[in-house]
Amino acid sequence: MAEPLVRMENIRKSYGRVQALVEANFHVNEREIVGLLGDNGAGKSTLIKVLSGAVPLTSGDIFIRGKKVNFRSTSDAIAHGIETIYQDSALVTQLSIARNLFLGREPIKSPRFLNRMDQEAMNVVARDLLKQVGISKNIPPTTPIGSLSGGERQAVAIARAMHFDSDLIILDEPTNNLGVAETQGVLSFVRSARDSGHSCIFIAHNIHHVFQVVDRIVVMRRGKVVADDIDPKKTNVTEVERVITGMSDKEIRDAIAEGKHSGA
Amino acid sequence: MENRSVVQRLIARPEFGPFVLLVVEIAVFWSINPSFLSPQNISNTLAFTVELGLIALAMTLLMTSGEFDLSVGSVFGFSPVLMWTLFNSGVTSLEMGFLIALVVAAFIGLVNGWFVTQLKIPSFLVTLGMLLVVRGTALFVTDGFPQRTWSAEGSWLAEVLVGDFFIGPFRIYMSLFWFIAAAIALGYVLTQSRTGNWIQAAGGNPNAARARGVNVSGVKIGLFILSSLMASLAGVISSLRTSAANPNSGTGYELEVIAMVVIGGTALTGGRGTIIGTVLGILILRVMRNGIVLIGVPGLAYNIFIGAIILGMMALHSWLERRHQAGT
Repeated sequence: MAEPLVRMENIRKSYGRVQALVEANFHVNEREIVGLLGDNGAGKSTLIKVLSGAVPLTSGDIFIRGKKVNFRSTSDAIAHGIETIYQDSALVTQLSIARNLFLGREPIKSPRFLNRMDQEAMNVVARDLLKQVGISKNIPPTTPIGSLSGGERQAVAIARAMHFDSDLIILDEPTNNLGVAETQGVLSFVRSARDSGHSCIFIAHNIHHVFQVVDRIVVMRRGKVVADDIDPKKTNVTEVERVITGMSDKEIRDAIAEGKHSGA
Repeated sequence: MENRSVVQRLIARPEFGPFVLLVVEIAVFWSINPSFLSPQNISNTLAFTVELGLIALAMTLLMTSGEFDLSVGSVFGFSPVLMWTLFNSGVTSLEMGFLIALVVAAFIGLVNGWFVTQLKIPSFLVTLGMLLVVRGTALFVTDGFPQRTWSAEGSWLAEVLVGDFFIGPFRIYMSLFWFIAAAIALGYVLTQSRTGNWIQAAGGNPNAARARGVNVSGVKIGLFILSSLMASLAGVISSLRTSAANPNSGTGYELEVIAMVVIGGTALTGGRGTIIGTVLGILILRVMRNGIVLIGVPGLAYNIFIGAIILGMMALHSWLERRHQAGT
């Protein structure tokens, strides 16, 4: 079998005496959308933070295409083609679409010592990218992010990851607080990212959204990956919920009746 | 339709409100007392305006990055005291004293920046502490007395920084050119350069900027150093022009400078800044200070007007911001 794009082996992460990840194993193949599910505190956020370089791991190994890597910062992960898009923190609302797209990698006009951004080039690329991710409205690339809708912001963040050739795009709750149409838009951006050769990890509380877009579902519980090969076409939401909670149908119903379980 | 959208865009700019206010201010003062626009009054107003203005320009960038510096007033007072103390005691030449004062100011900025970015202490507290340390040092070193300053005559440093000449009836100080050069350079940095994009991102969403590999701490430390350097330069210029080095000078300037910046349309919370707006903000406050005296309002009432301007401008900027967010 071909080497996965990303492989995480025996990942441990402790915060003091709290074990957030216990021997977690996880992988993402090329051109694959993986849905990462788990209840609150299951460890999915920590796993993603480790993979995106935001927090250091306590022990374990990360391989990219079979090569061991060591992330010391988010910039390290980005340099290795891993881009994480958090719903609220990915973009600077005061800056324009084009300036956000190129933030940290702005093209410079010559003479270089003047450090002058090539704004025309940035606008041309931005206009192209917006079309590519399927934003149908005619939005000028000089528009500040603050005046875009939640779905459009996600699209800009995804477009940025695609443009800079991120191999793996991690989407943390990309459909939170979005309306129905906007959610469908974001799901289609994710599909277009896969179609153009990128892999994605899709984290969402709404299992129905995950089912619509992913190729494989991975479930975490208490810091471990408890299922990593669930085919969304061969199962249903209830089955997956059972794996997430580790409870039987009856236990889930009883827990809901007692108000202990908030649903996935 | 096209014309209308151009007008709308102009009105939506954060600099539009301050511009209108400045025009109204000048018109009102001039109509009440025509000598307000006399060459002598304009020359006098400009001379001091650019000294505070230099600090306000640097503060604009710092505030755009989401921080501010309360220690600028004390650095303004301390730097000339240090320069003159070194010179008067025969330790260094005046020029070397000036250089040392700049290096010390840069160090003060570095310490401010380090505390804010590495120890994660809010800039309000860090620079408030630094204000007291620097002011206290100036008072301690001088025993609270002004320094002798009469020996600057003929120094090339004085000529370069505050040499004056007449253009027609207007007396122009060299500091005006330094101010114009700084405004152009910092305006360029903020709007055209890659660093400007980082400054705005550092203030708008530091986590997003950091995730893109922007060295947010480096940007902020650099701007704290710039702000201190400009305060030091302004202090020395003011001292050379007035032939005075008082350890108490510059008291309260920090708040006036911050007022100039926010009146101009720079967001106190960071992420958005405008050098043109700050230049307008500087002129609004200095013209107000000069004008109300000329039209016979007691000088002690100055703060009432400044407070009212700040409140009015903040209301206007917040209204424009909401319209902007609503996409109208």
